[in-house]
Amino acid sequence: MERLFFDAAALLAILFAGLMVVGRDPVKSVLSLVVSFFALAACYVLLLAPLIAVLQVIVYAGAILVLFLFVLMLLNVGREQPDGARRPIQTVLGSLAVVVFAGLLLGMLRATGTRIPILTEAVGPEGLADPAALARLLFSDYLLHFEAVSVLLLAALVGAFVLARREEAP
Amino acid sequence: MTFPLPLWVLPLIPLAGFAVNSLLGTRLGKSFVSAVGVGAAGLVTLAAYSRLLPFFGGSHATVIEPVANWITIANFSIDISFRLDPLSALMLSFVTFVGFLIHVYAIGYMHGDHATDAGYARFFAYLNLFLFAMLTLVLAESFLLMFVGWEGVGLCSYLLVGYYFDREYAAAAGRKAFVVNRIGDYGFLLGMFGIFAAFGSLNYTEVFRKAAEQPAQFGPVLPVICLCLFIGAMGKSAQVPLYVWLPDAMAGPTPVSALIHAATMVTAGVYMVARCNVLFRLAPDVMLFVAVIGCFTALFAGTIAIAQNDLKKVLAYSTISQLGYMFLACGVGAFPVGMFHVMTHACFKACLFLGAGSVMHSMSDDLDIRHMGGLKAKMPITYLTFLAATLAIAGIPPFAGFFSKDAILSSSFEAPGLGKLLWFIGLFTAGLTAFYMFRIVSLTFYGDFRGTKEQAHHLHESPSSMTFPLIVLGLLSVVAGWLGLPAVFGEHANVIGPFLAPVIAPIAGHEAAHEAMPHATEWLLMAVSVAVAASGLYLAYNWYAKEGGRTPARLAASYPGVYALVADKYRIDELYDALFVRPFAWLARALWKVVDVLVIDGVLNAAAFLVELAGDFLRFLQTGNVRNYALTFFLGLIALLVFVVGAM
Amino acid sequence: MIGSIPLSDVLLVSGALFSIGVAGALLRRNAIQIFLSIELMMNAANLALLGYGAALGTHQGQIIVFFVIAIAAAEAAVGLAIFVALFRHTETIDVNKINLLKW
Repeated sequence: MERLFFDAAALLAILFAGLMVVGRDPVKSVLSLVVSFFALAACYVLLLAPLIAVLQVIVYAGAILVLFLFVLMLLNVGREQPDGARRPIQTVLGSLAVVVFAGLLLGMLRATGTRIPILTEAVGPEGLADPAALARLLFSDYLLHFEAVSVLLLAALVGAFVLARREEAP
Repeated sequence: MTFPLPLWVLPLIPLAGFAVNSLLGTRLGKSFVSAVGVGAAGLVTLAAYSRLLPFFGGSHATVIEPVANWITIANFSIDISFRLDPLSALMLSFVTFVGFLIHVYAIGYMHGDHATDAGYARFFAYLNLFLFAMLTLVLAESFLLMFVGWEGVGLCSYLLVGYYFDREYAAAAGRKAFVVNRIGDYGFLLGMFGIFAAFGSLNYTEVFRKAAEQPAQFGPVLPVICLCLFIGAMGKSAQVPLYVWLPDAMAGPTPVSALIHAATMVTAGVYMVARCNVLFRLAPDVMLFVAVIGCFTALFAGTIAIAQNDLKKVLAYSTISQLGYMFLACGVGAFPVGMFHVMTHACFKACLFLGAGSVMHSMSDDLDIRHMGGLKAKMPITYLTFLAATLAIAGIPPFAGFFSKDAILSSSFEAPGLGKLLWFIGLFTAGLTAFYMFRIVSLTFYGDFRGTKEQAHHLHESPSSMTFPLIVLGLLSVVAGWLGLPAVFGEHANVIGPFLAPVIAPIAGHEAAHEAMPHATEWLLMAVSVAVAASGLYLAYNWYAKEGGRTPARLAASYPGVYALVADKYRIDELYDALFVRPFAWLARALWKVVDVLVIDGVLNAAAFLVELAGDFLRFLQTGNVRNYALTFFLGLIALLVFVVGAM
Repeated sequence: MIGSIPLSDVLLVSGALFSIGVAGALLRRNAIQIFLSIELMMNAANLALLGYGAALGTHQGQIIVFFVIAIAAAEAAVGLAIFVALFRHTETIDVNKINLLKW
């Protein structure tokens, strides 16, 4: 049962990821990626991480990609123009590299029979999917990392502000 | 009984003088420098004589004072130790005393425009340094320590000959002195290596004892060793063919010529041969070689001296000639006689050089004897002392040189083999010596003055700081010979011979029966020597003082080629230049232009060029396009993956 | 109780997503789209991490992904700021045309 859900959601994610990559219009790409992320959130739930799934939707799909949209709208970026590529080496070599890479990744997969535990089993206090347990860990063992990431976010905030502001007229 | 001053203190006194004068001299003025320099020389003389008192009292004991261990590597061990035996006592006595007198003389000589304040301090510092090196050489108990002193005196010779370093000629002369000395030192080093290889030690006592006790064991290897050592002596004591530096070294200030190139440094070679008499006596072929070289050098230099017109050059060739006599004496086995001549020569040659310096001062630094004449009236003290020293060197009794030179001549007369021939050549050279010495006396002090008007105005006797040493040395030139009166004057007439006898150690199995020469022969030989010397003097007086040089001028005109050759010192310098100096300079040039510039620099430049070339190609990787970089990145990742997968 | 989703499935999906992301990053000329592909790659990694975390029964996978999401947010903000500043200067988003560091 779970496998069915997982495969469906995964397929959706892959499909829309592909759409994102081939789309010419940047806005269409962003929207495709949003859908893809939603599908991925569903996968996350099945992987016993409901909190992460929610975070994915709220932060990733809801904030980051919306930010992308904002920027696109702000700068009024148009469609990508086909350019007479003078030297196709990038495309040729790039495509080759991707194919080889995909092949390698597949080659490394071994079906060992390990399986993901059932979601319903893991829900409940102290289960793997319990948000409280995750929160407890975050604020005890991983407190330093947590605070460090907050500082990082502050730095990013300041950096983005400085980088993107208009030059003041003298 | 006073506390005996340790021997190692003696060299340190002038070393301290050197340190003080070189560090503080320029700041503290000429009086201070003089006080320290002369004071150090005087102090070391007193100190030395305090140690010499037992020897004057008749003791012949050898004193050895070890100081410290210097090097110990596996089974090679050298100590720093000092030795005081009759031989080194003799050297010590005149090195310090004559050195002191010359230091006093230098005060008067180096005043005025001969030295700036800085130069003055430098001069006295170097003189003190020289005394330090010379004392180390004389007092050393091992070949290695002696070599330290040997090199040190060579260095000081270079420094002092090149004292007027801004004059090209003087600087070149200093270099020449050092380089030619170095060639000799190479021989000395080889000799030292040989000694160590054969005897396992460089210590005098050990080496000489082993050689004396087991002559047969060391016999085969000693000729080579002694020859190498003698090459060192040839360099230091200016024998043919390594004599060429000494005439050029006259470019240095006159006190330097007197001290280093007459009295002390050049006799170091003779001292070394006398010290190693045990080794040399076991190599009779080398002894013969030494005698022949000495005799030939004496004659050779004497012939050059008769045609020179520079006062100091004549004295320089005269020194070379007299050194030849000393080696002749050693070569025929009469080592004490050679050392006796060293001592008397120090006295009269130093007197002659200092007198020449006095004349030079008076003549406003002109040394050409053709410009002099009649100085007898203007410079009486200089004249009298110079005359006394000339009579000494000519070999007129009862002056000093007669007894020592006569002893040399009679020793070589007695010697087997070539002895008589060597005696004859030595005799002829004695006549030459008397001739050329009295030639310069006549041309300088007699007759009419031939110089310029300004020079004539300037003629004056030297100050007492200069005349005092002249007087002392002049007196010594008279009396010093009386230490070595020949046997004909009585059983105990000869003091120096028995004094030095302990140094001539007996060699097992080589007891040479020495019969004294019959008195008649001795008197006859003495008479012949005196006659030859007197005739040389008389001829010179006639030709130069009385006739004013007409006859020799006519002779020179009749044989212009011969005269030119002799006056140009047989063009030996030019020969060496063509044979050695030019090829060497060519080689240096080739090494520079080809090996250094083309090859070494070329390799470096080529490497740099290749790097640049590589860079020129590699820069095309920087396309500025981010996608290309990302691709490269990714390709690397793939490679890594392949590696990991492969490893699995 | 052990469920029915095999780990290899999860990894397969993750690999596929990553490859698609790489393709996008290498083959597109639009800077925004390159950026989006990079985000896709990060999500593929998150998926793999969560898969392993669940399979091994540990919270660590979720913790890491938590932080990755936070950092991705920071990175996206700064990256877009740079993009905006660049676009103001050059008026183009074609990466090929931004090659001032060319030899």
